[in-house]
Order: sequence, then structure tokens, then C-alpha cells
Amino acid sequence: MSGVSLVGVTKMYGAVKALDHVSVDVRDGELLALLGPSGCGKTTLLRCVAGLERPDRGSVEIGEADITVTPTRERPIGMVFQNYALFPNLTVRQNIAFPLEVRHRPRTEIDARVYELLDLVHLTEQGDRYPKQISGGQAQRCALGRALAPNPEVLLLDEPLSALDALVRGRLRDEIRRVQQLVGITAIYVTHDQSEAMAIADRVAVMNAGRVEQIAAPADLYDMPSTQFSAKFVGSRNAVELAVRNGQVGIPGSFQIDAPAGSNGHALAFFRPEDVKVSVGDDGPGMAARVELKIFLGATTRLHLVGEADGEPIALFGDLPSRRARQIGEGEMVRVDVDPDHVQAFPV
Amino acid sequence: MKMATLSRPYEKLGGLESTGGSAAPSPIARTRGWLAAWLPAIPLLLLVATCLIAPVVMLVWQSVTGMGETGLSLDLWFRVLGQHANQDAILTSLVLAAACATVTLVLGAPLAWMISRMLRGKRAFWLGLLNVSANFGGIGLAFAYMATIGTVGMLTLIVQGLGIGFEAPREGSMPALLMAYEYTNVPLFVLLTIPAMSILRDDWWEAAQVSSATRLVFWRRIGVPILSPFLLAGWLLIFTWTLGIYGIAYGLAGQSGATAVHLITLQIGSALQSDVLLGPGRAAILAVVLMLFASTSLVLYRLLLRRATRWL
Amino acid sequence: MAVEAGSSAVTKSRAAASVRSSDRKSVGRVGRAVFFGFALFYFCVPMAAVLIYSFATRWTANVLPDGYTLDWWRATLADPRIQSAFFTSISLASLTAILDIAVVVPAAYWSRVRNARIRPVVEVAAAVPFALPYVVIAFGLMQFSGVVAPQFQGTFPLLVAGHSAIAFPFVYWAVDGAMAAAGIERLTETAEACGASPYQALMRVVLPNISAGLVTGGLLSFAASFGEFAMAQIIGRSLDTVPLWSAEMIRSYTDTAGSYNRLAVVTLLTFAVLFVLSALVVYWNRGQTVRLLPGAGASDQGGRQ
Repeated sequence: MSGVSLVGVTKMYGAVKALDHVSVDVRDGELLALLGPSGCGKTTLLRCVAGLERPDRGSVEIGEADITVTPTRERPIGMVFQNYALFPNLTVRQNIAFPLEVRHRPRTEIDARVYELLDLVHLTEQGDRYPKQISGGQAQRCALGRALAPNPEVLLLDEPLSALDALVRGRLRDEIRRVQQLVGITAIYVTHDQSEAMAIADRVAVMNAGRVEQIAAPADLYDMPSTQFSAKFVGSRNAVELAVRNGQVGIPGSFQIDAPAGSNGHALAFFRPEDVKVSVGDDGPGMAARVELKIFLGATTRLHLVGEADGEPIALFGDLPSRRARQIGEGEMVRVDVDPDHVQAFPV
Repeated sequence: MKMATLSRPYEKLGGLESTGGSAAPSPIARTRGWLAAWLPAIPLLLLVATCLIAPVVMLVWQSVTGMGETGLSLDLWFRVLGQHANQDAILTSLVLAAACATVTLVLGAPLAWMISRMLRGKRAFWLGLLNVSANFGGIGLAFAYMATIGTVGMLTLIVQGLGIGFEAPREGSMPALLMAYEYTNVPLFVLLTIPAMSILRDDWWEAAQVSSATRLVFWRRIGVPILSPFLLAGWLLIFTWTLGIYGIAYGLAGQSGATAVHLITLQIGSALQSDVLLGPGRAAILAVVLMLFASTSLVLYRLLLRRATRWL
Repeated sequence: MAVEAGSSAVTKSRAAASVRSSDRKSVGRVGRAVFFGFALFYFCVPMAAVLIYSFATRWTANVLPDGYTLDWWRATLADPRIQSAFFTSISLASLTAILDIAVVVPAAYWSRVRNARIRPVVEVAAAVPFALPYVVIAFGLMQFSGVVAPQFQGTFPLLVAGHSAIAFPFVYWAVDGAMAAAGIERLTETAEACGASPYQALMRVVLPNISAGLVTGGLLSFAASFGEFAMAQIIGRSLDTVPLWSAEMIRSYTDTAGSYNRLAVVTLLTFAVLFVLSALVVYWNRGQTVRLLPGAGASDQGGRQ
């Protein structure tokens, strides 16, 4: 019915390239998260879809229609803003009714639709309150209701949770996901929080410096970041610089993998702390390392480990189930091994 | 909000008071505590009391006692308000103030909106200009008006030079006063309302666009309802301010002699200077009348602002 | 729904929409330019007229004066009476600004760090000069001083006190705003935790952090006093300030001695003073709006809490 496709979208702010030939396809009914650090262009991209920014080059399509130059108010979109942007002089009910009234829908239809939406976002009780009389979570649910009111084809969410406390955030995130799936609407969700993106999205587009680095399903992105930037940005990872020898890189005694194309001399190897296997004792597979510090994180405990390869010290983190970590003391020598399947290397 | 971090007024003073260790502080300790709490404010409070409060109280008192000669009586009020010239002055002042405030609102509100949305450098330039003209009043402005659109003012001469049969309004007439007043009133209004303009957030306009609203609908449903109490409050302030303008009117009315309009402030001034018979008494009554109008509109102003912030 | 209808129409009219929206934008831009051009014109023309007047020999019939001369400037600047009027006005305004700062700063400071009950009292007092016309205050002050201190009537010190009373709100709002912005309560607590006395805290921590407010308040009260006419006329009749001199000139109906031309010179000088003051205020506040009136800073409370 109506996906969104962005083709070669470029946006300059003076000499700064906010968007650099970005092409993204959002499939019909899917929730795509735009993930990246601040200033990466994710909000600009969303605003190009909303028509609040006009791309300098490239095109924006919704469904079959090219809307690149369509004014915002003629676009089939709904939008949820970072700071709610509820109209303070209208009640929750009136806020949700606003897009319908603007379109001159008949009164009975508006009332029925507003009733339906209040129910959808669980605000039936708060319908007659003013925005300043409701909590942040309720305000954002109201904003969601307002965005969905005219049955738009695409829902745009601009960091909708960032103004909320941690506790409300998780609950509202799941709520937004529930509503989006229930309505079956195509959605673009901007966030800088990778766990939020992973939890809510069908696919995640990682953005950096005005470009899309990678688009993948959350699990694939987590396991197999395709660029160095995604590897650094998504999840916490060990990043170890290693020398290339005979077309291979590795930690002696642990893993050896093929050096990435284009690397000369050194490569950067990424692997997750939970993929680091730690065993007690002096022998066995892996590299000898010393436990410098133990940090208890609840279910797991993180070990700061220092080993040695080619006469250079190597520092890395390893996560163990806390029950196992209890048997290892700080200052003890251990063996560290990493499964080569979980290591990715990029040229330095 | 500001109050949240305010200190505990008497905790520290408590130390002073309880030096005696007794439950009830002695009168001396109490006085010392009071002094410690109020001393730094006393010079200001003295200034206010002697130069603002006492004079005003004095005027009211004199107006109801026939300048201290009749005892408590409204006789002076009836005599002064019975005079046609005074009635005329009161009415004219009110009409002029209302007209000025309305014109100011119409010109000033869009100006304030546009300036509030400017980038900093440009805004600083306009604020600087506005600051100058908001402060440029009195005789200087009256003269500048004459030199510009007075009977032999520059614009008047230019327009006449173009062969258009234009006659400038007499300097002491209502239209002339109105035009001259606007030179300071519009900038004053803009300076006053710019802070309120920042209440209107840009993402409301964006949210309205996403909701398919046109600019017109946005202003009618969102912008104007939110800003209107502030704008009305601005109207009231300009109204009050205009009622009290003296210097410009004095300068301009002087040009038209007897044909100049009657205004309360001018009547007070002339009563003080020439009217030997009823002089100070007349001035006192008119001053109290002015005071009543001004304080009424200030109370309304407060109520309006409270209403204005109810959504925020 | 309407949205869908809209989107199908969109493809067809892409080119048209583009033209239409750029048209609309440029209309808005032109309108804005005209509006601001008019504002600038409105601002500048009176000054231009006064400027030309100050150089004109005779200017009553033609679009431009019959001739130009520097005589008015020379005569005006050399006139001892005008010199003394400027001297009086400048000392009056300076003393007013100094007195206002001296009485307002301690009160504002104390109301923030020790006794919150000072605030409502001062705020009500600060509304008085706006509620009551200066003519009224001046007349009341004349009557009152006639009763309690007749020896001060018509004197310079009384006028300084009167001007300080009507100009203090400018200083109060500027200083109080600066104190709020600097978070003076916390600064004071920190200073006291470091062992500073209230006096030391005020001089070494508070004042340096509210300098923008002090300068702004001082300049605004200076400007208010410098141009003030009503009070000067009513209670300072024996004095000769710039506005009083101007009033005398503007009322000299016959323009025999070139009084209007000299008035033009003085008006321009007054304007220049205001211009410098205003430039300083804007400079010190870095283009931010100066909060001038009670409650006008409602945006202080703006936003969600």
C-alpha cells in the first residue's frame, strides 16, 4: 500500500552536509528505526519525509506518489514530536480532534474517531484534561493519538521517548510498538538509543555523518555489523588493534582470522565481551591474561583483562555469568579465548 | 520556580534570637532579628515610601479634604468634575489612549512576532533601534514630529512639493498626537511583548502543519488564543502609559495654543502653572482621576496575565 | 480520508505545487521586507528631518532648506546655558543611576538569599511608576515635600530622589533577572560554605556575576532620568535640564533667534546619547531581550515543568 522511499536525498546547511545522498526504502507496514549519534542527520531525514525540510537533491515518495515538494499539510503523514508539541490551549480530546476538524470531517465522525483513539492510547479518562495537567507519558500517548487520527499512511516519530524518565520510557516504547502493529501503519522512528531501536524496530538504519551505514534487522545488526561505525555504535564491544601477519590477524593462542581487505599492517578486531571465554588455570586454550578488575553487573560480571600479544599489552573486557565469576579473584591469572566466528575485523 | 531554591528566611536568624536560650525572645532580640531580615532593603523601601507612596496618599487625602481646607468632603470633586473643560479632558484622554493602544497593537504585534523569530545578530540590531525610540519621548520627540510632518515639516513640504494639496494635521490635534505617540508606543509594545512571543513554540506550528492546518487555521485556533491575553495585557499597558504622557503633548499642544486638545495631563500641568484660583485643587482631583484609571487598568493587566499563563 | 485524496492529487500537481509554494514564500518575504522597510523609514525620517533642520538657514517653503550652515552647531555648543543644561542633566541621570543601584542591589540580593518577604513588597512598589503617570507622582511629591521638607522644594537633591523613585524598577528587573540567571542563591551558599561573610559573598561572588544586569539597569535608569520632563518641570522648576530647556525653546512661538535650529541640535545630541546607551544595553545583553515590565517576562514560567 504505502511504503516510503527516499532516493539520493541530499541536504546542506551552509557548507555542512546534513544528508549525503541517502537512499532508504521503508517497506509497507514496517517500523524502521533511524539510529545514530546526534548530528548524524537522522532527524533531518525524518523532517524531509514530513516536509518540514526540503531536500536540496533527491526525491521522497510515499506509496506511488512523489511528495518531494508537497507542502507538509498535504502529505499523508502523522508525526510525534520529541517534546510532545501538544497545543496547550486544547484538551487531550481537542488535540486529537484537531487534524480531523482541520479537514472538516463531520462532527459525528470526529467524535467517534476521537473516542476510538482515546481508547487505543488508553487516555479515555484524561480526555478533558489540558496538556499541562497530564504526565509526560500521557502527553506522548495523546500526541500519538493526534498523529494517527486522520488515518495517515506513514507515522513519523522523532525521538518520542527522550523527554521521559527511564521507567516510563520502556513502557511507552512497547505501547507505541503495540499500536503501530495494531494499526499496521508504516513508521519511521528516530532515536539515538540503540537498545530502544533494537527493541522496537523491524529494521534499523544506522546513520553516521549524513550517510546510512547499514540497514538490517536488529539481531543481524547486533551479530554482524557491516561497518566499523556500526560495530562501535551498536552494543558494547572489544576493539583490539592487531598486527596483520601472513594475511591473518589474531591473538596468539586464541583466534586467527583472515585480515580484512584493504588492511595494511594493522587491523581492528571487534568482538563482544560475552563471546570472550575465560577459564581458570595456567594451561588450556587461549591467551594468558591477568584479571585487573571485577565489576558486578547483576546477572553477569565484567572482567577487565590484560594479556600480551607480540610483546604488546592487550586490554579487553570479558562478561561471565556472575556465579562463575565468583570463583575468579582480582589479580589472578586466567586463560582467555575468543571464538573466531564472532570476531569481525576492519582495516585501520 | 524561582522560589524553590529560596533560602529559609529565619533559620539563620533563629541563631541570633535564641542566644538567650529562653523560649520567648526578648523584644531587643526580636528587633535585631527583624533588622537582620529587612535592613538591606530599608534604603529602597524608604525611597519608595517617601517618593512614591506618601505623595500619592497625600494627593488622595487632599482631594477629599478640599486641599486640607474643608475637612472631609467631596465638594472639590464636584466643582472640578463639573467644569466642562475637565470633563472634556478626561474623555479626550481616554479616547486618545484607547485609539493609540489599538493602533499600537495592530502594528506592534506582527512586528514583535517577526523580531522574536529573527537570528540573534539581526534581532540585536532591531532591539537596539526599538530601545532608542521607546526611550525617545518628551519634548525632543515633539520637535522631531514638527520637523517631519508639522505644518512646515520635511515630509509635509515634500508632499506639497509634489503638487499634492496636503495639509498636515495641526500639531495639537488628536491625529498629530496619535502619530507622535506611536513613535515611542510601538517600540515599547514590541519590547514588552517579545518575551511572550517566545511562548509560542516552533513545534506547535510544525505539529499544526502535520495535522494539515494552514497558517490561517494555526493562528486562529492556536496562536491567537495563546497570545491574545498577553497582547491584551500589552494593550492595557500602552493605554495606561498613554494616559500619562505629558512631555510630547506639552510640546505639541503648545504649537496650537488654545485650539489644542484638552488632556488630563496637560490640564494638571497648566493648573499648576497658571490657575491661581482652583489650581492645586484642580490638579489634585485630575491627578487622582488619572490615578484611578491607571490603577484599574493595572489590576486588569494582572488578571489578564494570570489568565494568560493558565495553560503554561 | 482527506489525506489519501490529497496524496493522489499530489503526483499530478507536483510542478504546480512547487511553483505555488515558492510564490507564496516570496510574497511573504516581500511583505516582510516592506514592513521592516517601513519601520526603518518611520524610525529614521524624523531623525533625518531634525538633522537637516540643524544645518538649515531657512526652511519653510521648499522641499529642502534654502541654504546650509554650521552656525547653529557652533552657537549651540558654545552656548553656556546649553552646556550647563547638559551638565545638569548628565549629573542628574548619573546620580539617579548610582542611587538606584545602591538601594536596589542590597534589597534584591537580600530578598533572594535571606528574606523572601521583601520580594512581594518590592514588586508592588515597582509597579507604581508604571501605574501612575509621572505627572501625578511629581505633583504628589511637590505637595508632600511642601509639607514635610519645604526647604527641598525645587532643588536638585529632590529631583534626584524623585527620578530614582520612578526609575528604580528598571534597575530592579534587570538586577533581579541577572540574579536569577546567575543562580545567585546557590552561588551564595557555595561562597558561605567556603567561609565568606555575606558582604564578601556580595562583593566577590554576586556582583561579578550580575554585571550585565547592573550595567543594563544603570543605563536604563540613566536614560529614563535623562529624558524625563514632567517631574523636572513640576518639582525642579528652578533647574535647567535639557528637556526643560527644550520645552522653553519649543514654546517660543517665533523662530527669530533660530531657537528651532538650536533645538534641532540639542534634540540630535539627546538622540545620540540614547543611541549610545541603547547600543551598550544591547551589547551587554548580547542581543537578548531586556525584560522591562512586570509580568512581561511571563516566558520565565513558560514550558512544561
